[in-house]
Amino acid sequence: MFGKAVNYELIWDFPVSGTVDESQRWILSAMKRHGQGLVTLLWRILGNEEDVCDAYQSTFLQLAHYKGRQKPEHIKSYIFRVASNTAVSMLKYRAAEKKRLSTAIVNRGGAISPENELDSKYLQETLRCHIAQLPEHLRNVIMLRDLGELSYAQTGRILGISAATARVYRCKAVQLLAVWMGKEREERK
Amino acid sequence: MTSINKNEGTTLKSENGNSNKCRRITDWLYKAIINRFHFDGGWIQNHIANCPRCNRRLVDVGKVNLALSAIKSQPHKLDLLKRANTQAIGVLKHSLREAPKAEKLRAMLPEPKLFEKCGKYAHSTANVAACITILLLMKIGIFSSMDTFQTQGQKAVEQYYAGQVGEDLADEIFST
Repeated sequence: MFGKAVNYELIWDFPVSGTVDESQRWILSAMKRHGQGLVTLLWRILGNEEDVCDAYQSTFLQLAHYKGRQKPEHIKSYIFRVASNTAVSMLKYRAAEKKRLSTAIVNRGGAISPENELDSKYLQETLRCHIAQLPEHLRNVIMLRDLGELSYAQTGRILGISAATARVYRCKAVQLLAVWMGKEREERK
Repeated sequence: MTSINKNEGTTLKSENGNSNKCRRITDWLYKAIINRFHFDGGWIQNHIANCPRCNRRLVDVGKVNLALSAIKSQPHKLDLLKRANTQAIGVLKHSLREAPKAEKLRAMLPEPKLFEKCGKYAHSTANVAACITILLLMKIGIFSSMDTFQTQGQKAVEQYYAGQVGEDLADEIFST
């Protein structure tokens, strides 16, 4: 009798684990479908390959544990939002660390030369720091639209706003970034 | 704005009409604003050249756009997607890690999008399409001209016969 019960349990266990496996396959499908876009977005936000891999891993780990391992309704929206939030956190942390550790170096480079001002790497890093400081609604739009190269309609859909609102937010974000870039130049002068 | 009628169909029609009108007005306003305030407008150019504040703003916006372009044009290593996939799959549960799809993802390299792939053929495709259109138009034109020519010729011969042998006989000849 006991032996039979064990056998039934085994029979019962097998299909259950099979369905769980099957139900989680969508993670791999999502990785295949959106992986490339996600890596591009993370690379543009972070500019560091190690950080990109970490943020990517963290995104899919969160996806796998979403609400008791359920599938989100809009996977693309979920993935892109989680990825950009993770990347921004990393960027903020990195900026704070850099500021803390290299105050002396920054002070030494106080007199900024015109060639340094147009230096591509300097510009990129400055812009990344400023993007991380933008208000969330503006930052999300500039990340998805400019760095993720999604259309305004797609950006709006992911963020739950209209395409026109996304356009307005993007315009405001660029204005704010421009002001900050200008301020920094003046401070350094 | 919407006229309230008992007939639902009429209300819908008037709503559609209003929305079309609104869209047309919006388009028209947008075009008017663009024409007036376009960046290439002479008075804007003159103002920017003489106003230090606007000058500075323009420089700063330009710098933001330059930095965005620099970020976008910075390439990453070709195997980054492969490495990211491998790292991410490594933390998923065992059954997913062992799936055949996971193996493919671990070896995945970035592929250009279909639009980018077809981009290089876009110019030649447009040329071929233009040639086909021209040929079609020519063909249509030639056949329609030939038809006209035939009808006109037939009429002329009919008139000649009518003049020479009489209308009755001409009708008899051309009706058969």
